[in-house]
Amino acid sequence: MKDENEFDYDNYIEKTHTYGTILMVIGIVLLLAVPFLIASVTGSHINWPGFRSGVIKVLLIYIPSSAAEFLIYTPMLGVGSVYLSFLTGNLTNLKLPCAFSSREIAQTQPGTKEDEIIMTLSIATSALVTMLVIALGVALLVPLTPILQNPTLKPAFDNVLPALFGALGYQYFIKDLKLSTFAMVLSVAICIFVPSMIGQTGTMIIVLGAVTLAFAFVIFKATQKKAQSLIDENNSNKDQ
Amino acid sequence: MNNYLQIANAGKLYLIVGLVLAFVVGFCIFFLIRSYRAGISMGMDKKILRRAITSSATFTAIPSISTLLGVLALAGSLGVPVAWLRLSVIGNLQYEATVAQIAAEGLGKTLDSAVLNMSDLVTILLIMTIGIIWSCVFTALFLKPYTKKLAGKKNDGSVKKHGPSFSSIAMVAMFIALCSAFIGNYVADFIVYGAEVPILTAIVSAIVMAIFEYLIKKKGHKGLESFSLALSMVIAMAASVGFAQFFGGM
Repeated sequence: MKDENEFDYDNYIEKTHTYGTILMVIGIVLLLAVPFLIASVTGSHINWPGFRSGVIKVLLIYIPSSAAEFLIYTPMLGVGSVYLSFLTGNLTNLKLPCAFSSREIAQTQPGTKEDEIIMTLSIATSALVTMLVIALGVALLVPLTPILQNPTLKPAFDNVLPALFGALGYQYFIKDLKLSTFAMVLSVAICIFVPSMIGQTGTMIIVLGAVTLAFAFVIFKATQKKAQSLIDENNSNKDQ
Repeated sequence: MNNYLQIANAGKLYLIVGLVLAFVVGFCIFFLIRSYRAGISMGMDKKILRRAITSSATFTAIPSISTLLGVLALAGSLGVPVAWLRLSVIGNLQYEATVAQIAAEGLGKTLDSAVLNMSDLVTILLIMTIGIIWSCVFTALFLKPYTKKLAGKKNDGSVKKHGPSFSSIAMVAMFIALCSAFIGNYVADFIVYGAEVPILTAIVSAIVMAIFEYLIKKKGHKGLESFSLALSMVIAMAASVGFAQFFGGM
């Protein structure tokens, strides 16, 4: 079936890295240029003090999580598909399930040459279809814009975040009720005793993130210790 | 429509966003063609390659509507072009909504079209872009050495440690903290200032999500999985209109 002798796979991967890196750098530059281009065509300007205040909080949260995503998801994907996935986004909710489904259909094994091809085809197609659907939706959305900005509907758009975090909160809180109770009680208590923290969600995420992570680590270590002592106990019983 | 939203939805902005998206589309098409040709050169069956493409297209089409609903949700405060760009490249609804809120707070404002201006919008967009760009930066800088290291580990035959790792627990803990920061805020806002609509909206969204989870996990309606988040949000947002009218505005 395969005629691998005629195809230099290592060279293909090497070139994928070269093209991927070049296109990724161009993509990053283009994305960073957009706010400045919009500012110049609309006669507006970046509010640098406001930028500094917001960007520090965002970087504190998202540099570590981006590094974790890169380290965790890369081994699950192929080379070409990593470049495409990270640039086009919607990785966990759309691209990964789609690529895994294609892997199942093509019956390829992770890390093989065939899998590299299937994953790249899958992620590229998924990204193109998503962009097409959104573009068609946006085309339909434009004539509807005045209706969407009707004052009666304004509360709906002002409550995007409560709607998002209500649903997400349910999904994550049921995963670990002990941790969730701890984080929620802490969050409400801080905001009630220091009302100036209401509306300061950026700061709250950093504070709660650090404390909840520390609490999770303590629980994790205690559980590990308990499990280890049970194993030791079992082993000593066997020896006897 | 107020002046801010008129400018935020202007044709010039669509053009700028369209150019960036055209580049990303070109990137995807280039990699798609390259990998298809490589697959054929490797001797892979054309039918399998085509099936990977068609199955991915059908798999993605319906869940993409959920991303479109995200564009709709953000368009009310950021305008359609910016929401379109942010949800088509790198990010996802959860990230974009959270960071837009943090960025607006940094400017001493909220994500409300009535109080934002174009300078706020470009500042928020720059913060959103710089915050989300890191996975791309890491990929451009470290993917090659990282994949080589991974391949080396595979060849070593090194065995993975057994037992749950802290990384998966840490990921859940971070999401719990993220959700608690927002929901705790709505609870306190209600207790301290009597703002009912945000917490009621969050409760409706959680209830709808619980119903979806029941239908997906207990009744086997797997098809709902891709829509549960977007539909929970849309239903809760619709409910917030009723709450706002009932309680006499926010």
